[in-house]
Amino acid sequence: MTHPNPTDEKPWLDIDRKPFIKIRNLTKKFGDVVAVDNISLDIYENELFSLLGGSGCGKSTLLRMLAGFEIPTSGTIEIDGQNMLAVPPHARPTNMMFQSYALFPHMNVAKNVGYGLRRDGLQKAEIDIQVSEILELVQLGGYEKRKPSQLSGGQRQRVALARALIKKPKLLLLDEPLGALDKKLREETQFELINIQETLGVTFIVVTHDQEEAMTLSTRIGVMDIGTIAQIGEPQEVYEFPRTRYVADFIGSVNLFEGRVIKDSPNKLVIESPDAGINIHVPHGVSCSPNQLLWFALRPEKFEISVAKPKNVTNLLKGTVEDIAYLGGQSVYLVRLETGRLVRTVRANRDRGAEAPITWQQDVYLTWARSAGVVLTS
Amino acid sequence: MFFRILSVFGFFFLYAPIAALVFYSFNASKLVTVWGGFSTKWYGELFGDPQILGAAWISLKIAFISASISVVLGTLAALIMVRFGRFKGRTLFSGMITAPLVMPEVITGLSLLMLFISLQGLIGWPVGRGLSTIVIAHSTFGLAFVAVIVQSRLVDMDKDIEEAASDLGARPVRVFFDITLPMILPALVSAWLLAFTLSLDDLVIASFVAGPGASTLPMVIFSKVRLGVSPDINALATIMIGIVGLGIFCATLVMLRKSSREG
Repeated sequence: MTHPNPTDEKPWLDIDRKPFIKIRNLTKKFGDVVAVDNISLDIYENELFSLLGGSGCGKSTLLRMLAGFEIPTSGTIEIDGQNMLAVPPHARPTNMMFQSYALFPHMNVAKNVGYGLRRDGLQKAEIDIQVSEILELVQLGGYEKRKPSQLSGGQRQRVALARALIKKPKLLLLDEPLGALDKKLREETQFELINIQETLGVTFIVVTHDQEEAMTLSTRIGVMDIGTIAQIGEPQEVYEFPRTRYVADFIGSVNLFEGRVIKDSPNKLVIESPDAGINIHVPHGVSCSPNQLLWFALRPEKFEISVAKPKNVTNLLKGTVEDIAYLGGQSVYLVRLETGRLVRTVRANRDRGAEAPITWQQDVYLTWARSAGVVLTS
Repeated sequence: MFFRILSVFGFFFLYAPIAALVFYSFNASKLVTVWGGFSTKWYGELFGDPQILGAAWISLKIAFISASISVVLGTLAALIMVRFGRFKGRTLFSGMITAPLVMPEVITGLSLLMLFISLQGLIGWPVGRGLSTIVIAHSTFGLAFVAVIVQSRLVDMDKDIEEAASDLGARPVRVFFDITLPMILPALVSAWLLAFTLSLDDLVIASFVAGPGASTLPMVIFSKVRLGVSPDINALATIMIGIVGLGIFCATLVMLRKSSREG
C-alpha cells in the first residue's frame, strides 16, 4: 500500500487544487442588520467543513444562502464551477438537513425519504429499492410505514438525514444536525455521520454552536464571529494555534494573561504580565511593535500543578486552590494567584485516590513548558 | 357561587328560547305557545310547501358555491399575506381583506347593490339581480373569514417543512399541493364550514342584492314571520339548528383529529 499524498487528504494545502465551493465577498443584510459580512471561503470536495459560532453569528444565514433560501445582498457562490445566484433552491445540487428536521408530518417514513426521488420522476420500484437501501444505511430498516409522530428524536434525525442523502447531492448542508439529541446519542451519531460521509463521498457543511461536535466531525472548522470568519483551520490548528482571543475563548477554555514585550530576541521573548505577576518566557519571536499590548493564552490542561515547588523552571506561578470540580476522568482546579487572578487548570485523574491529593485552600505551584501557550495580538 | 348563578342565567337566556323552539316544533296545536300534544305534522307540512323547499334549495346552492369560492380566494389572500414577505402595501392589503368582518352588513349590502346596478349600466353585467349576485356578495365576506382562519394556520406552520420540499426538488406550485395544502386542509375544511353557515344565515346582505325568483331561506322565513309566527317555521328552524349543529360538530371533529395527530 502506498502512502497517500498529504494534499489528497488535505486539499486546502494544495494551492493548485480547485475548490468545490467558492464563496466570494458574500454579504447578507436584513434591513440594517448585517448577518453575513463580506465572507470569502473555499471548501473542497469530500470535506466535512464546520461553521462554528454562537447564536446570531450568521452561520445559519450562510448555510441558507448555499441552499438558496436566502438571496445574498452581494457577492457570489459557486458550486462545482457553476454560479448559484440565479439557481432556485429546487434546482441546486445541494440538499439540506434542517435543525427542526422538517419531516413531512402527513407522510410516512418511506414517503418522506422517497420524496426527492419522486420529484425527479423515478419509477416506483426504483424508489422503493433506494429508500430501503438508505434506511438500511441509517439503521432504520423496517420503519417504512411509521409516521414521523411515532418516532423518537434520534429516529427522526435519521429520517431527516436519509431524506437529505437519498438524492446523492454533491453537497449536504446540515443545520445543527445533532442539536436536539441527548449527549450519549449525540456522541454515537457523530461517528456515524463521519462514517456515512466517508462511505458516500459527499461534501458536508455542518453548522453548529457546539465546539466539541465541530472538533469531532470536521476536516476543517470555520469559526464565525458576528458575520465574519475569525479563523479557518483544522480542529487541532484552531485549538492549539488560535489567532484571536475570540477564537481561543470560543474553542475550549483558556487563561489569558495581558502583558507587554520587554525583551525580544530571535529565540526568546519575555512578556511582562502584571496579570500573572511574573515575566512570561516564550520560545520564539512574535511580529509586533515594541511595547504593544498583547495576550498570552494558555489552555487549562497545559499547566503542571504541584504541591512541592518545582526546580529549574522559567515560568512559575504560585496560588491557592479555590475550587475543585471533579469530572470523573479529570478534575478542574480554580487557582487564585497572588495577583488576585483566577486561573483554570485541568488535571487528568490518572490514579485512583492519588497519595497526595490536592484539596481546597492548598498552596500550589503552576508551571508550563515554554511552547505550551500562544501569544495573541488581537 | 355568584359566577355559577351568572353562568346559569347566561346559558338560560342563550339556550332556553332555542329549546322552546325545538319543543314547540312538535306541537300539535296551531297556536304557537299553547301545547296541544306531540305531533310531527308541521314537518310534513313543511316538506309539502314548495316555496320553502325552493328557498331552502336556493340557500344551500348559494352557500355551497359561495363557501367554495371564499375558500379558494381566502386561501390565496392568506398565502400572500403570510408567505410573500413584506411587499409594498401589505398592511393596507391585510386591512382591506379583514374589513368586511367589522363592516355593518347594511353598508356591505347597500354598497354591493349600488356596485351591481352601476356595473349593469356600464358593462351590461350582471343582468338584474338574483342567485349570482348573492353568491358574489356572500363570497366577499366569506373570503374575509377564510383568510383570517387560514392565515393563523399558516403562521403556525413551520416554514422549514415547505423549504425542505423545495430543497428536495419541488417547484413552488408542487410544494403547495404536496405539502402546504395537506397541512392546512383541516383549517380549510373548518373555514369552508364557517363560510357555508354564514351564507346560510345571512338575511341583510341577501335582501339587498337578491332579485325576483332568488329568495333565500332566511328571506322567506322573515317575510312569513311578519305575517305571524306559524308552527311550521318552528319545524324549519329546528331542522336548520340541526344542520348548523352538525356542521360545527364536524368542524370541531376535524380540528380535534388534526391536533391529536400532530400532538
